[in-house]
Amino acid sequence: MKKLRNSLLTQYLLIILVATLILPLSLPVVSVIFYNSLEKVDDPVRYYNGTDLENMWIETAKGLSGASEAEIHQKLLEMNHIYQEASMYWVDDSGQTRDKFPSSLAVPDTWSASDAVEFMKQNRGYTVDPFTVVAFIGHEQQEGFMVLQVPRTDMVSPSDQLRAKYNYMFPIALLSIFALFILISMLFFYRIRKRLLHLQKAMATPEATGIPAMIEVTKEDEIGRLEQSFNRMVKKLETSRSREIEEEELRKELIANLSHDLRTPLTTIRGHAYRLQKESLSTKGQESLDFIDEKVNYMGELIENLLSYTLLTTGKYPYYPEKVDMTRLIRNSFSSWYPVFENHQFTIEVDIPDRQLLWEVDPQWMHRVLDNLFQNIARHAKSGQFVAVRVENEAIILEDHGPGMKGKSNQTGIGIGLSIISLMLKEMKLDWDIETSERGTKIKIQKR
Amino acid sequence: MHEILYIEDDVEIGNIVKEDLEQRGYVIRWMTSGEQAVEELGDADLVILDVMLPGLDGFTVGQRLKNSRPAIPILMLSARTSVDDKLQGLQFADDYVTKPFHPDELAARIEVLLRRTQRDFPEEMQIGHLKVNMTANRIITDDGEEIMLTAKQHQIFMYLLQHPNQILTKEQIYEAIWNEPYLEGDKTLMVHIRHLREKIEEEPSSPKIIETIRGLGYRVRQ
Repeated sequence: MKKLRNSLLTQYLLIILVATLILPLSLPVVSVIFYNSLEKVDDPVRYYNGTDLENMWIETAKGLSGASEAEIHQKLLEMNHIYQEASMYWVDDSGQTRDKFPSSLAVPDTWSASDAVEFMKQNRGYTVDPFTVVAFIGHEQQEGFMVLQVPRTDMVSPSDQLRAKYNYMFPIALLSIFALFILISMLFFYRIRKRLLHLQKAMATPEATGIPAMIEVTKEDEIGRLEQSFNRMVKKLETSRSREIEEEELRKELIANLSHDLRTPLTTIRGHAYRLQKESLSTKGQESLDFIDEKVNYMGELIENLLSYTLLTTGKYPYYPEKVDMTRLIRNSFSSWYPVFENHQFTIEVDIPDRQLLWEVDPQWMHRVLDNLFQNIARHAKSGQFVAVRVENEAIILEDHGPGMKGKSNQTGIGIGLSIISLMLKEMKLDWDIETSERGTKIKIQKR
Repeated sequence: MHEILYIEDDVEIGNIVKEDLEQRGYVIRWMTSGEQAVEELGDADLVILDVMLPGLDGFTVGQRLKNSRPAIPILMLSARTSVDDKLQGLQFADDYVTKPFHPDELAARIEVLLRRTQRDFPEEMQIGHLKVNMTANRIITDDGEEIMLTAKQHQIFMYLLQHPNQILTKEQIYEAIWNEPYLEGDKTLMVHIRHLREKIEEEPSSPKIIETIRGLGYRVRQ
């Protein structure tokens, strides 16, 4: 029942029902109100209508049967009081005019039979003005007659006058009822629309978390229930988001801990290998130690890469982009690698112009990318003994003459390192191209 | 003899590092927790600090050490390698070495840090045919001739000598000497280096002391 009362459909049907009932009724209702209320302004003791006046005059005259002159005078006086604008008088059985109201009334003082007939003839019909009634006094026709003359203008009642004056109000009242109905239905739909738009806006504007905020539910109708469902959905999203964050945090923590736990024994292994190196060892033993050292290094990098890759793919790797002069950054980065290439007897070509090349990147990330690339060259392209670093047409170019990335290097695991470079460059909105063959590799990094 | 305060909770690593650094001639005071670090600091020349410590973590300990002696160089050792750690560590730490480090690398970093504090800067250096006395600011050739440099030339030469075997970019040198940002295309430094070479090189056209690393910068090899 409550559900039914709160339903928008119910509300809508109610509006329609009221409209279908009120619209046809409005015409009679308005008329009744219009006429009945106006009739109250009329004088209740007098008549306006011709027939009523005539009947009233005839009845009055009949009632004066056998009355004395004084009584007739008194009656006329009363009547004159009610119908002040009318003129009236009476003629006695001898044809003498008596008691004229008003006294200045121009009528013959004596009436012959032919006078009377003539008067009657002249004042007959519905259009004659003034409206005239002649009535015999008493039941017999010997007691004389009395005359009432009412100007036609005074036969319109005040209510009729008002009606004529305010006739235009009637259609206005009817139109107002129509307008009221239209207004109510528009208001009904306007409010529905407003709430729907509010809901739509709430859905389309997510908070900082990417999830829309909950909305206040004010009604329990269909839209209210929709809002409740929306809020439930938001709540669920929030719960799952926080669970996701928790899990990510856990994973990050796990990998960080794992990385720590793996690095600690590696450090010990390396320390002991170093200690052994100082003992007198056979060439084979020395080779083994070098091999151990190399593998420890490699594992350290793998662990680092694993951690970085996890952080990068979960968007947890701290990223602080700023305007960076790339020529300066490349010079800095390559300066620390220069001795390494020098030691391996590389031919080194550097062509970095003496002008700014501003890119919006995270300098730490860019250093990491370049370090990874230089390290790859130092490690996998030794055989080519060539490295070139150039800045050409707003692009960074690194070149080596190694066996190429498809060539078999004695160390695999280059994949994750390249994935990290790829992810970082993508995040910094940079593109990179790799041309690789057995004669060498050329890497080109430029703005997207 | 330099004294190093070494804070490391892992006994295996601690033993190896202590032994190695002692063999290299350092005096090592090794602690397995950071609680007493400030009290134990004494007049140590450098602190090696592990990040993951029981109780107080390395960052807190390092912060406390810096508060008590801001000039003390701190080298952080860590097996945690997220970049967060690096940034957090470097706010006060002077350098950062990641496990598994090679003992040679650790020793090299320690040397760099100690040299930066200038305490063990050699009084006299032999570079090519030059004897450079760092305290008296005198440069004498093997023939006994003294070379007089202008103030800027001297500053540049000293800066290069303080970073031996390291390639210094034009920007780095310019900004260290002039104390203002280097503008691309500025030839000032090049002109100063040319004049400097005319004074110190035997053959200025093929310099032996100040090496030009094409496209990168300059280097003095020791």
